[in-house]
Amino acid sequence: MTAAVLRVGVVGAGMIAGCHVRAYTATPGVEVVAVADPRLPKAEQLASTVGARACSSLEEILDLDVDIVSVCTPPRTHADLTVQAVTAGRHVLCEKPVAGSLADAGRILAASRETDVVVMVGHVSRFEPEHRAAKELVDGGYVGNVAMMVHSLTTSVPTWSEGGWLTDPQQSGGPLLDLSVHSFDYLAWVCGSRATRVHAVAGDSAVGEATYVVATVRYESGAMGQVEASWAHPVARGFKAVVEVTGTAGRVSWDYDSINGGAMYLTDGGTTWFDPLGERGYRGEVAAFVDAVRAGGPSPVPVEAGFEAARTALAAHESLRTGQPVDLTSWAGR
Amino acid sequence: MSEPLGVAVLGCAHRPHAWSYARALASSGTARLVAVHDPEPGLGHSVADDFAVPYITDAQALVSSPDVHAVVVCSPTARHRAHVELAAAHGCHVLCEKPVATTVEDAAAMIAATDEAGTQLHVAFPSRFLPQVRRVKEALDAGTLGRVIGVRAGNRGRPPLPPQYPAWITTPAESGGGALIDHSVHLTDLLRHLTGQEVVRVAAETGSLLWDAGVEDCALLSLELTGATVASLDPSWSVPANNPWDYDFFLRLVGTAGSVDLDDVSESVRMVSATAGAGLRLVGFAEDPDATMVEAFVDSVLRGAPVDPCASGVDGLRSLEVALAGYRSAADGGCFVEPASAE
Repeated sequence: MTAAVLRVGVVGAGMIAGCHVRAYTATPGVEVVAVADPRLPKAEQLASTVGARACSSLEEILDLDVDIVSVCTPPRTHADLTVQAVTAGRHVLCEKPVAGSLADAGRILAASRETDVVVMVGHVSRFEPEHRAAKELVDGGYVGNVAMMVHSLTTSVPTWSEGGWLTDPQQSGGPLLDLSVHSFDYLAWVCGSRATRVHAVAGDSAVGEATYVVATVRYESGAMGQVEASWAHPVARGFKAVVEVTGTAGRVSWDYDSINGGAMYLTDGGTTWFDPLGERGYRGEVAAFVDAVRAGGPSPVPVEAGFEAARTALAAHESLRTGQPVDLTSWAGR
Repeated sequence: MSEPLGVAVLGCAHRPHAWSYARALASSGTARLVAVHDPEPGLGHSVADDFAVPYITDAQALVSSPDVHAVVVCSPTARHRAHVELAAAHGCHVLCEKPVATTVEDAAAMIAATDEAGTQLHVAFPSRFLPQVRRVKEALDAGTLGRVIGVRAGNRGRPPLPPQYPAWITTPAESGGGALIDHSVHLTDLLRHLTGQEVVRVAAETGSLLWDAGVEDCALLSLELTGATVASLDPSWSVPANNPWDYDFFLRLVGTAGSVDLDDVSESVRMVSATAGAGLRLVGFAEDPDATMVEAFVDSVLRGAPVDPCASGVDGLRSLEVALAGYRSAADGGCFVEPASAE
């Protein structure tokens, strides 16, 4: 049990790091003490919002006696940072995808199995309030045996990443690793079954090859899932999720077009849409992580789950390469 | 002012559709519903009587009537060919319920028979006639949306199980299969219609997961088309009990210059009533695409050539080929396969 205020260091100072910092700040008994980024001014900018120290490396953060490290860097750096922090005895919340390759994901998995610290993968979908409500309904038996699932995340190309790493498929893995990895994790979790087969089709857009993807997943239970991801949509359309879980007794479904917390219109023309979701998912994720740290585990999203979601996404990539389905009961990467 | 076109209904096995087409004919200003045939008198009367036209037991006598110039075929899918060949042999134009047939051979024979007779063969794909689909088609043709990159589309329904539905729909020898062939042909046709592309590769997953219907009730098809467009189609009979609507159609398309999200469920009012079953109902107020389609069929016959956007026998064949490829894929571990062409 850890009773004192938990000290947090965040590695990375990009978009997701900001979400983590705000979520930790909203969590009682937690203090963000440092933000690290190789670009120090970027670290300073985020650190200054919470009075934390700006650093340029994980080593500096570890020297500050932190209990928790949030890894919010590009996926190809996750393994080194996570293994280093875990080896140093710190609890780690590692952003999704757990890693960009199966080898890296395997290193994190091995490290998590050799330690008593809590290692959690940031599959925030599990903590989004509407996703969570749906999971509870499925677990409550309202849907019966899950048969058909849809998880669609469509948006325009992300423009916020440092040096454009997110839109470089070599660094980010494209929409399958960036967006669909959420879907693969959520659907496997919600239906309580392992993915056994995946195939995918993809289209190219002006923002890159395979920036529109639909993967079809088969599960051990017989259920199937349709996973759509796009960076090819117009900016004006925004980010949209469509989710459906259908079973022998019913269906739970929602989409962002029909979730509306209200709107405020001003005479001078300004309009504010009240977003009922906001950053509640990140707050829920961080709260669950902090609770697990205090309780000494278990991890709310174990590395095994993150590994499987990443493996499914990488197998979908492999399906795009070979033009055939990939058997996930045996596939161990290229 | 010319005489209205005499049209008969040949087979009522697709009863809701036969009824809807009969209603469209009965209320048409350019056509006249002459009579209704079905081998099953009860079924035939259930349509004929509603529109005060004769029920005819003998299909041959009906198509031989000098009053009948065109027919709407709504028999079980495997029997479409016999009815279409009979109609063609008597010089009748045909609007045939979808799927056009259960085999490529039957569909090709129906196309050949009507070609030889010099009559038109249309296949009933009413989704082409939805106003919002026509708007998308116009935008695509005008280049407003650019090249189509990807499409996710669905046409889901309740399970067509007895006693509400006849047993033939879930009897593969009569229907060709389950949800995959029943609903995917609508979506495949729409994809071909909107993009002007043909399907080159198909992968499918199917399952009998929901209703114990004896045929697949769930399916997902992935398609690759000639113009590099990809699509994922959901034709499942996956609408649960107490759902506020019975069928849906949705299309989510992204092109290089824009995107479209449309569905036919949101065009509705919400109703909760102590006299109308459990919970919320969405009561649609969309224009009836069946009526528009039947009018276009009649117009095509009167003009002597199919009018836009009517679907032809070849259109019916192409979507059938994709459905059959889907079954081959599903039986082969979900592998991608090429649709067999009849040529």
